[in-house]
Amino acid sequence: MKRYDCLRAVAPRFGDELVVTNLGAVRHEWQALRPHPGNYHLQNLGLTSSMALGLALALPHRKIVAFDGDGSLLLNLGSLATIANQHPTNLIHIVFDNECYESSRGAPTATAGQADLAAVARGCGFTHVVTAKTLAEFEEGFRRALKSNDLYFILAKVEAGAADVPAAALDSQENKYRFVRYIEQSENLKILTSTLSRASDPHAK
Amino acid sequence: MKREVAAEIVDSLKEAGVDFVATLTEANLHDLVMAIGEDTAIHHVPVTREEEGIGICAGAYLGGKKPAMVMMNAGFLLSANALATVCIHPGIPVLMLIGHSGGVGEENAGHATVGALTEPVLQAMHIVYEKVGRFEDIRPTIHDSQMLARSSRRPTAIVLNKQALR
Repeated sequence: MKRYDCLRAVAPRFGDELVVTNLGAVRHEWQALRPHPGNYHLQNLGLTSSMALGLALALPHRKIVAFDGDGSLLLNLGSLATIANQHPTNLIHIVFDNECYESSRGAPTATAGQADLAAVARGCGFTHVVTAKTLAEFEEGFRRALKSNDLYFILAKVEAGAADVPAAALDSQENKYRFVRYIEQSENLKILTSTLSRASDPHAK
Repeated sequence: MKREVAAEIVDSLKEAGVDFVATLTEANLHDLVMAIGEDTAIHHVPVTREEEGIGICAGAYLGGKKPAMVMMNAGFLLSANALATVCIHPGIPVLMLIGHSGGVGEENAGHATVGALTEPVLQAMHIVYEKVGRFEDIRPTIHDSQMLARSSRRPTAIVLNKQALR
């Protein structure tokens, strides 16, 4: 199973869920499958799980899905301890584990050796942990996680390889503004500050 | 840090609208971290590594919170890449309160290099910062730094020196 097969299988299940994608091909694959203002494409390796935690804590009534990778999570293993302790019941943390640094020409990661990220998640205190080795297992795990009101960790063991999709045409700044405006509108929040020009005030002295 | 200083910082953060704080503690920050944890108006996230806190604060901002990060300067140096890629590049604010070990008044020789590097790195990253030591400067500096972070959509920093931390 490849990462794109997993994404394609679950994309039709998405409504207004917010998504944080890891650096690398997953952002292009996901944007091609589900172009939506609620996608945030992080330009950093490591902090996908932490960004998703911050969002989940800020918006506890919204479902947040993180599409993380093994190389990324290995940079930020401590985030699993923090997430388990905070226990956001609206977060689904998905790790596509291809056992290599795919976007960096494929050198093996620690999961190609002895490391098992699902065991790490369990050890950190996650209670719902799924390891999916087939597409059916992944779909079933995701379906359960989406339906539940609890924190889930899904490790999808995938083959390396990116799908032939167009590059996501979103600069980081553009992505941020679109995402924030979408949150402001869908949550009735004011996030971006704005000030009136003093010259526009007829009573100004 | 004296308890009244910690209480002044927490109250000033709340007055400035801060409702979400990630922390990584240290002896000098202990009373502040404990006070943040006890305050029901602030969501407190103790983190395992400072750059993790930067990511969490950025996510909380995107979800409508007004975040701050409390850490020592060693943690700030560790967070340079996170600040560049997660905050400065897309334009996401986070107010940082940074304890300045190795600065003026430092007794421990081991902190000198980190102390000397803190301000140059803040300057190199174009992060606007204020240094605070006196009690009466805490409240207005937190207010103004938070104001600039929000309006500029950039991280800002308050460097707490030994006078504030003792």
